Amino acid sequence: MIRLENVYKNFGDLEVLKDINLTVEKGETVCIIGPSGSGKSTLLRSLNHLETITSGRIFIDNELLFDRKGDKDVFRPTQNRIAEVCSEMGMVFQQFNLFPHMTVLENIMLAPRVVKKEPSEHVREYAMHLLEKVGLGDKWGAYPSKLSGGQQQRVAIARALATKPEIMLFDEPTSALDPELVSEVLEVMGSLAKEGMTMLVVTHEMGFAKEVANRVIFMDNGEIIEENTPENLFGKPEKDRTRAFLSKIL
Amino acid sequence: MSDRMVRIVQILSDSFFPLLEAGIKFTVPLTILSFIIGVAIAFTVAIVRVLEIKPFEGIARLYVWIVRGTPLLVQLFIIFYGLPSIGVTLDALVSAVIGFSLSVGAYSSEIIRAAILSVPKGQWEAARALGMSKAQTLKHVVLPQAIKVAIPPLSNSFISLVKDTSLAAAITVSEMFQVAQQITARTYEPLWLYTEAAAIYLVFCSGLTVLQSRLEERFGRHLAR
Repeated sequence: MIRLENVYKNFGDLEVLKDINLTVEKGETVCIIGPSGSGKSTLLRSLNHLETITSGRIFIDNELLFDRKGDKDVFRPTQNRIAEVCSEMGMVFQQFNLFPHMTVLENIMLAPRVVKKEPSEHVREYAMHLLEKVGLGDKWGAYPSKLSGGQQQRVAIARALATKPEIMLFDEPTSALDPELVSEVLEVMGSLAKEGMTMLVVTHEMGFAKEVANRVIFMDNGEIIEENTPENLFGKPEKDRTRAFLSKIL
Repeated sequence: MSDRMVRIVQILSDSFFPLLEAGIKFTVPLTILSFIIGVAIAFTVAIVRVLEIKPFEGIARLYVWIVRGTPLLVQLFIIFYGLPSIGVTLDALVSAVIGFSLSVGAYSSEIIRAAILSVPKGQWEAARALGMSKAQTLKHVVLPQAIKVAIPPLSNSFISLVKDTSLAAAITVSEMFQVAQQITARTYEPLWLYTEAAAIYLVFCSGLTVLQSRLEERFGRHLAR
């Protein structure tokens, strides 16, 4: 579903991603953990073109989406094709990024209506279905500023699902939440994973990674240090850096 | 009441309707028309600059630089008295509308550009992640939020423009200030006549201030935080 080959990303002289090779299969949930500044978010944002990689290749659903070398395109699909492929990936941000001038329902309906040009009636019905699914069926008419952080993030998940993506990217979805609101968001994510959604999750929630992930990736300093099942990675980490990180947070 | 007082009251009441008429026939339409055209220019220039649309971006910067760096009165003189020497002869009112529109366009483009840039980057990213194009993002996500930020400073420009239209007197447009000058020339009461004209400008601008707070309320309704 997702494949990265020899991906590098530099911000000026700073190497943020170094030779990243990663595959995520259909239906898999993969969690990326690691200290801040390790390149986790940049990796996620490279997938849907919020960041442009310096070199390497990215495949989505077996289609070559980016192929770059020395900060130049070797191959580049049309802008429309990039937008189309990216709209097959839903993304959930740390800061929610809901549209404050729209109601919850309007937030969810915008992309299907504007990008996919689906008929309003159909879109509204599906949006309400998604809201029920994230447990906010009664909040459809509210503005985001009237919701708690946890509710806003659940709306953001529903909004990302509205274009019927095959892949969901989560960029520290619970890091901006008050502790008591974290579990309601993780529950929604857990049930999505159970339904077979392909998910790539950057997170500091080790409990979630242990319980839900099929695989956990530990990143440090722009590199993938270790990659394993949650039992093995948390139970018997192979690398010293992984052990050092885990001993600090567990 | 002394004779002088009677005379002043007489002049003021005689000149009130001619002044108001000039205000309603010239000052108000000149302001409204120039503002509408100016804001349309401003939006275009701001969007060209924010999206960095290549050949036009340079032209937009040049335009803002020239218009903001030269006096409005001089611009009006160039358009009305200068252009005929290269064969472009424009009606005084048309010259005024062109001059004022270009001025509003240049100043307001910076207001709108700043308002667009004040919308957090996360809004652009969220829209992009949903597969929306830059144009779609501007239309549905960014501009509705930017307008709320732009209304107070744009109202300021509008109120400034009401007063700037008095410069059109210098290129023979018989707007309110010019009528005041004409009556003064006949009656020799500059203090009273110009004060009367100023009072009518003040009433116009006060009306606009009320309109501004209505607009702010309307566009800010859902954004209270």
